[in-house]
Formats: sequence, structure tokens, C-alpha cells
Amino acid sequence: MSVAKPLPHDAARLHVTGTARYIDDIPVPAGCLHLAFGLSPVARGRLTHVDLAAVRAAPGVALVLTAADLVRPADCSPSAHDEPLLAEDEVHYAGQPIFLVAADSHLAARKAAALAQIDISPLPAILSISDALAANSRFEDGPRIYGRGDPDAELATAEIVTEGEIEIGGQEHFYLESQAALALPQEGGDMIVHSSSQHPTEIQHKVADALGVPMHGVRVEVRRMGGGFGGKESQGNALAIACAVVAQMTDRPAKMRYDRDDDFTITGKRHDFRIAYKVGHDAQGKISALVFEQFCRCGWSMDLSLPVADRAMLHADNAYWLEHVRITSHRLKTNTQSATAFRGFGGPQGMVGIERVLDHVAHVVGRDGTAVRKCNFYGAPADRSDQGALPPGGAAASPQSISAKAIYNGTRTPYGMEVTDFILDDLVARLESSSAYAERRQAVAAFNAQNAVIKKGLALSPVKFGISFTLTHLNQAGALVHVYQDGSIHLNHGGTEMGQGLFQKVAQVAASRFGVGLEAVKITATDTAKVPNTSATAASSGSDLNGMAVRAACDTIRDRIAVFLAERTQSDPTDIVFADGMVRVGGLEMPFAQAAKEAWMGRVSLSATGFYKTPDIVWDRIRGTGRPFYYFAYGAAVTEVAIDTLTGENRILRADILHDAGASLNPALDIGQVEGGYVQGAGWLTMEELVWDQTGRLRTHAPSTYKIPAASDTPDIFNVSLYDTPNAADTIYRSKAVGEPPLMLGISALLALSDACAACGPCYPALDAPATPERILAAVARARGALP
Amino acid sequence: MHNFEFVKPSTIADAAAALAGDEAQALSGGQTLLPTMKQRLAAPDTLVSLTGIPEMQGVCIGDDGAVCVGGATTHATVAAEAAASFPGLAGLASQIGDPMVRNRGTVGGSLANNDPAACYPAGALGTGATIVTNSREIAADDYFQGMFATALEEGEIITEVRFPVPEASSYQKFLQPASRFALTAVFVAKYADGVRVAVTGASEEGVFRWTEAEEALSANFSADAVDGLSVAADGMIADLHASKEYRAHLVKVMTKRAVEAAS
Ligand SMILES: Cc1cc2nc3c(=O)[nH]c(=O)nc-3n(C[C@H](O)[C@H](O)[C@H](O)COP(=O)(O)OP(=O)(O)OC[C@H]3O[C@@H](n4cnc5c(N)ncnc54)[C@H](O)[C@@H]3O)c2cc1C
Repeated sequence: MSVAKPLPHDAARLHVTGTARYIDDIPVPAGCLHLAFGLSPVARGRLTHVDLAAVRAAPGVALVLTAADLVRPADCSPSAHDEPLLAEDEVHYAGQPIFLVAADSHLAARKAAALAQIDISPLPAILSISDALAANSRFEDGPRIYGRGDPDAELATAEIVTEGEIEIGGQEHFYLESQAALALPQEGGDMIVHSSSQHPTEIQHKVADALGVPMHGVRVEVRRMGGGFGGKESQGNALAIACAVVAQMTDRPAKMRYDRDDDFTITGKRHDFRIAYKVGHDAQGKISALVFEQFCRCGWSMDLSLPVADRAMLHADNAYWLEHVRITSHRLKTNTQSATAFRGFGGPQGMVGIERVLDHVAHVVGRDGTAVRKCNFYGAPADRSDQGALPPGGAAASPQSISAKAIYNGTRTPYGMEVTDFILDDLVARLESSSAYAERRQAVAAFNAQNAVIKKGLALSPVKFGISFTLTHLNQAGALVHVYQDGSIHLNHGGTEMGQGLFQKVAQVAASRFGVGLEAVKITATDTAKVPNTSATAASSGSDLNGMAVRAACDTIRDRIAVFLAERTQSDPTDIVFADGMVRVGGLEMPFAQAAKEAWMGRVSLSATGFYKTPDIVWDRIRGTGRPFYYFAYGAAVTEVAIDTLTGENRILRADILHDAGASLNPALDIGQVEGGYVQGAGWLTMEELVWDQTGRLRTHAPSTYKIPAASDTPDIFNVSLYDTPNAADTIYRSKAVGEPPLMLGISALLALSDACAACGPCYPALDAPATPERILAAVARARGALP
Repeated sequence: MHNFEFVKPSTIADAAAALAGDEAQALSGGQTLLPTMKQRLAAPDTLVSLTGIPEMQGVCIGDDGAVCVGGATTHATVAAEAAASFPGLAGLASQIGDPMVRNRGTVGGSLANNDPAACYPAGALGTGATIVTNSREIAADDYFQGMFATALEEGEIITEVRFPVPEASSYQKFLQPASRFALTAVFVAKYADGVRVAVTGASEEGVFRWTEAEEALSANFSADAVDGLSVAADGMIADLHASKEYRAHLVKVMTKRAVEAAS
């Protein structure tokens, strides 16, 4: 069986030889137009005069469009219909497209776009979280509130109450391939669109809408993206629509790719957050009540902000039992890029919030952070020294234990979902031992006692991440599988490949179902004409959903072959075996290719669709109750850092990770995802800093000003292992989703930096993210009591 | 980028003559000038390449013992060839940018440009170097005149830079990690007649000498000597990468590091 094998990425050879084809590599037909947007230089204002004469007169320009020139309104939003392709009367952020140029080359289009004369009468721009709160500028009528119990009453009686606030910066996706699309007009007004998109169906839907044709008139194809990270879930719409609109108007092919600065300036990023907390706890650090207020900067349009903010609320517990809790979420509307999906989809921000609380509580009670975390775990023995712990529902409760609050922590999330698959006790214990956590904790303390300038920090943080789209209807997938008469297999499904290795993992499933080698399976581009009505490849769900759909399609074909061959041998079709490239039934044995050929000659259909929908999930996002997730993926990381207390310079010295990918479909790809996720998460929280100026212009819009971690920023000692245990839920080969969860392992880097700062003095350092050297220096001063 | 003519003379005299023309500009490694032209912030009619002039290449030792660097010598060459004679300067050159920048960019281009976050201005001012041009010799103390401003006349060519070799020196650079320019960096050089401390990346006025530190270190060349001093945040650069206060703080920290590394 090819599942569970550590096979390389199917396109690895193409990637390293530069022959993997991306949108910009597709040879375009003659007469292709190249597009560029003209962007708003101001964050908010009224368009008073748009003079595009010089743009129209520029060499090579074929067409220039403003909103008024569009035959029908073109909306780019994923759902709220609040994102016109081109600004209408008002501009809402610096970088918003105002007009569109089509020219005979990319460069000609960009040069022409620079010639516009645009007058905008500025309006007061709402830029920051504070601005938005002051102006009550928000999505939805008021804040969303989830919770249970009576946190206020519990806080009033808590032994200790700890309060604080953390700022968490946003993050640019920085996919290597910038956004791109190519539209090819067809006969009769049909359109083929190549798009660098995680969501081909949405591209199809939005393009059809903009063209005024039914969805059947548009076919979208995506072979691969050069990175997505959520940044290509909705942000590709504008380019695909622009290309299709121009192609329709001119009957010429049209292509658009953003220059890197434009990509930074136009597209949405991870939502930045401010999270305030008030937590009641005892002297052991056991939490009795917690109140969170999450402030989320959404940008100018709604995009995916509501489900992102919901997911931040749904991960405000991470791995911890919060009996009395209230989470208030403010979705603030600002005149900045419309923040969008980014690996973790709000979950990471919510998780940073609760991990910050645990860090703060541990500091206040003076205990090791890991010990405090463990005593708050779901289902953990309640840390009460006056009574022995009893197993849940076990031995008859003594009178004291009945009156005592709880002997074990609860296992129900604040949103009412029972956590039945909690494995962190064992996973964390194994990681503590493999990383020598306790010994290193002492070594770090010893080092810090001897060194005044360089301080080390160590932290362990767990991850519990909910798997499924919270919008329940998105949890479906389709597949199309053909077996040709020579036994070769054509594989197609609705998932998209963005470098994560989805196609290979799903191909391994198909090869395993037919018992053939991977060379028999042809991986093909995602295509809305083959599999319709797909969901975005997002929410880590790619292999869970598409693997299952492909399995269903393969099994349909297998069953047909089984019935056909069993009839010939008078045997039971369920006894058939597909393995090692052979098919065996009732004493008959033949190569798979021969079985395919005979089935074809026997007039058996060798093509099938497959479909899957995730069972058992229900969710009411307004009330905040239900079972939004099919299961949880877990992991934990231990990070050790060093800081220079004179400058705030810092390094990750070592990271040890144990991550739960269930029974991995492909350990090599999964470990790659875990390593990359950790580095991307640590980059978000340490070095990646987005800076807008006073007028709302993004000043970090290129690699010369915005630094992402590179291969050389990975820790020198980087031990990554998989917690190789089958998923309790019935997923494809009992594997678990692995796209997003490991990003949150990077939180341990922020916590380790906080630990190092805390070693400088008696006060809590309250380190914000990203923990740049300057912020670390300020946190060191706070630890020393030298700053408020 | 606009169109331009390109000439590549092989003598300083021919280069100077070519630069006398209207809208002519010197091109050395092109690491600053070409991006500027691409953004159309510069649009010379003629580019006069200085990289084909043998007299302007290489590192040698002058009669007075100074390390003399040809104006068109790349950072990588200085890093390699000055390593033995002047390790502090070689160390500075080796920390500039990335390999491409080091193998194309030149000392003359760096000093002519006088970027407020560039490294060579600190090296030149911190050593009291002499900037030799096709027409005169300029002392470093007279050469730097604020951000991007220098004593060079129109068309004047830096042909050589003479760096007096100190007894001990070090360049300590706090990297702006994205661009790899100096967020703040300090060159400290100890000579028989005193210590020089030059700071780059920090001030709105460009490279400057921290004279109080020079006095303190001249009296006592040890990192503690500057403990009692502080740098005012006023006049420091505040930008997207750091506040004034942080830069002022770094000046002292980097100075101490340089003294420690040098002694
Ligand atoms: C990615 C990147 C990172 C960088 N990092 C650093 C860094 O860390 N530290 C640092 O110091 N610098 C850094 N630089 C700048 C680099 O060192 C300078 O670009 C370089 O030193 C300029 O020299 P050049 O030879 O390329 O000059 P050019 O770009 O060719 O010219 C620059 C200017 O100087 C003039 N000029 C050139 N030579 C002479 C001469 N001999 N006489 C008179 N005028 C002349 C030109 O007319 C032009 O105005 C970086 C640059 C890049 C692109």
C-alpha cells in the first residue's frame, strides 16, 4: 500500500528543476492582453476627478476601465457583495483598485497605470483598533459573545485575579508566486480561467456573475499554486474577474499577475488582534473564571472576517477547561486592506490569547508554565492537594468529593462540544521526556543565574485545533476517477495543490484502493468541469475531504470490477483483493491492467465520481453552540531561545516538536508541513512586522522592509516527530489534517521569549507580538519594573 | 528606466571628461544607482562606468602605512584583501548586504551615495580617512554633509580612499533584517593619539562622530568608559523599523560592543 509511505512530493522533481508550471509559465495565445490596476494612494476619500487620458494614450494600451465602464457590476467578495472590482465613488483603503489597464505587455500596463491623474477629497480614515472602537465602526451590529457559567461571579470570589492585554500583529502570506490569473475567451461567450486560487469554484461563481453567464459558461483550472496559506482563498477573485471581463469585452486572452509590491498593497493579510483578559485562579494556577475581549481588525470589507473571528473565539480555550468563561469578539471595520484567511484562520490569534493567559498566570503564581498548563488541561485531575483524585465516574464518591467542586476538569468546550479525543496528557509527557524539558529548565535557570546580558528562555505549549469548516455545508467534497483500458488511472478531485502535498497524499489513497503503484495514477489539475461545487482547499480539510471522496470513487470502480470478475469465477465479489498490482478473486489472478482491460471488454463502466460529507457536525454560530468540529488535531512544542538584554536581539536555539497527524498518510510530507508551520508561526510572532503609516499606507510592502524567516532562521536543533496514533474519528486511513495546526506550535517561541524576558526581573514582561528586538527590550524593562 | 548612453573609459582622465558632459553620471557597482533609475528617481543621459579603470581597483598599503582602496573596489575585494592589514575595515566590508551587493557594490559608490544607513561612511569617518578624488583630497571630517549629501562636486570622481590603520578597531552593526542595512552601527578605532567613534544608521544628519565617547575612550579604552554617557533621542531617525529612542539606545550598546571586540 502506498499510504503511510514517506514519498516525496509528486512535483518535487519539477519544482527543483524549474519545470513545474505556474500561471505565469503557461504559454499564452497571440494577442494576449496584460492587466494592471491603478491603485488609490489614500486610505479613505471621495473620488472627485479621475483623468485617465494619459493612461489611454500610453504606448501599448488597448483598454482602460473604471467602475463606470463595466457593463455590469463586478463584485469580488466571497459573500457579502461589498467589494466592487473597481472603486465606485469612494475609496476605502490605500491600495484599492480604482481603474484597470489592459496593454500588450505587463510592463506597458504598469507604466501606463502610473500616468493617471486622480483627485480624491480625503475623508477621515479609521485605521487602528482604537479608531474603530471610537467610531463604533464594525461588522455585525455588535460584538459576538460566546461563553458559559458565571465568570463575573467567579471572578469576584477568585483567590487571585490577573489582568492584562496583548497586541498580536498581522502577517503577510508571502506566497512565492504572487496572485495571478489568465482568461481565455471561448466560442459562444464561454470562458476558461486559469487561476492561482485555493477556491476554483468561487472563481467560477464570481467570474460567471461578473460576465452575466451561468456557471456552466465558465471553466476554472488550477494545476498548482506557488504557496497559498489562505491568501488565495478569496484574494484571487479580483484578478480572475478582471481578466475575464477584459477577455469578454475584447475577445482577447487576458492575463494578470501582481507585482510583489502591488500584491502586498492590494491583498488582505492575517487579522491583527488585541486581546484583553481577566482571569481568576488559585495559587496553583488553576483557572476558575476567564473573561476575554478580542478586538479584531478586519479592514474595509467583510471578506471572511466573521468566520475568522468566530474561529478565534473557538480557540480561546486551546487545551484548557474553562468552566466559567466569556469571550467577546469585536469585528472592527477599518480603512485598511481587507484582512483575510491565513493558515489557522483566526485560531492562532485566539490561541495566542489563552497561551498568554497561562503564561501570565504561571508568572503570578511562580510555577513552571508546563505544570500550570497541565493542571488546566481538559479532563486533568483537578489540582487539589486535600483529596486524592478519583477516576471520572469511578469509585463511589465520598461525601467530601461530592461537595468538592470537581475532582477532574471538565471535558466540554465553552461552545458545548465534548472533547472525546484528548491525547495531550500523553503527548506532552512524551515530549517533555524526549526534549529533556525538566533538565533543560534547570539548565536555563543556571545559565541565567550566571549571565547578566544574555538570558535564555524555555517554553512548552500545546495545540488543540478543531478540524472542519465552521460553515457546516462546506464540509463536502467530490472526486472523479477514470480507469483506462491499460490500467492507468486518471485522478481528479476538488482540492487544490499549493505545495502542501495534497495531490500526492490523495494519489496514495487511490493507488492503495486499486493496489497499484503510484506510477499508475495520473494526478490532474483541479477543474470545475470535472468536479463541481467544491469548497476551498482550506481549514486543513484537503486530504480529509478529498481523500474520502476519491476513496468512494475508487471503491465504486473496484466494486464493478469485482462483480464482473466474481461472476466469471462464480465467487463472492467481496472476496476480491487488489494488491501488489494484482487482482485476485476465486482462484483467478491477473494484473490490474488486465482486469481493467477485461472489464472494459465486458462493457463495465470504469469511470466514477465519489462524494463525501463530514458526518456528525452541527453548529450555530450566533448562539455559539454545537459540534463545529469532527475531531481535534493535537501537538506540542518546546522552544528554547536566547535574548540579548541590551538590544533585544534573539535567536531560537532549539525546538522539539511532537505532532499528531493521526496515522499519517505520508510522514515525509506531514513532517514538512509541521516544520514549515512552526517556522511560519514563529516568524509571525517574532520577526514579521507590518507597518502602516499615519495616513494608512502600508510601508512594509517588499522583502526589503518585511522579513520572513528563511531556511537559515530554522533552529539549529530542530527535532520533529509525529505522534503516530490512528485518529479516533473515522477519517481517511485514520489520518489527521495537518495543514494549519502546526503553525500554532510557533506560539512556544513567543512564550520562550517571554520566559527569557521574565528572567530579567520580578515583574511580568507582557511581551507583545511580533516580538521584535525593540519590543523585547521594552519587555525586559517591564520585567525590571522600569516601564509600566 | 529611461534610455541612456553608456561609456566605459579606461582612465580617470577619460572618465572625468565624460562626466563633464550634460546629465552624465558615474556608474560603479550599480547597486544603488540602477534601482534608483528603475524607479525613475534618476534619469542620466549618459552613464560613465568606472569599473574599467585599473587605477581605481584593488587594495594596497600606502607609504604612510594607510590602507588605500581604489574607488571602484568591491566590498568583497576589501573584505578579502584588507583582512590581514586592517581587519576592522575588512570586517565592515564583509557585513555589507548580501553576496551580490558585496561583489558588485564599491567603496566609491557607497561614499558618494552616503546613505544614512550605509556602512562605509562609518568606516571612513571612524578612521579619519582621506577621500581622494580626481581633483583633490578631502578629509572625512569635511566630506560628510548630512543624509545623501557630500563635499563632492558635480562630476567629481572618488578615485581612492586612504584609511589610516588603527591599533585596534571594530565595526558593530545591528542589522535591519529585511534589507540588511544598518539599523544602527558603530565603528570604533583606537589610534596612538586618540579614539574615534563613528555612528551610522542612527541620525537624521547621517553619519556622525560621538565625541563624548571618543573623549571617554581616549582616556580609558574600555567598554565601561562610556557607561555614564547617553545619547539623546532627539535628531535620531524614527521610521518603520525602529523608534528614535531605540536607535539612541543602540548607539551606546554598539559602541561598547565595538570596544570589547577591538580590545
Ligand atoms: C540589497 C542591498 C543591501 C545593501 N546593504 C548594504 C549594507 O548593509 N551596508 C551598506 O553600506 N550598503 C548596503 N547596500 C548599498 C550598497 O553597498 C551600495 O549600493 C553600494 O555601496 C553603492 O556602490 P555602487 O558601486 O553599487 O554604486 P552605484 O550604485 O554604481 O552608484 C551610487 C552613486 O554613487 C555615484 N558613484 C559611484 N561611484 C562613484 C565614484 N567612484 N565617485 C563618485 N561618485 C560615484 C553614482 O553616480 C551614484 O550616484 C545595499 C544595497 C542593496 C541593494
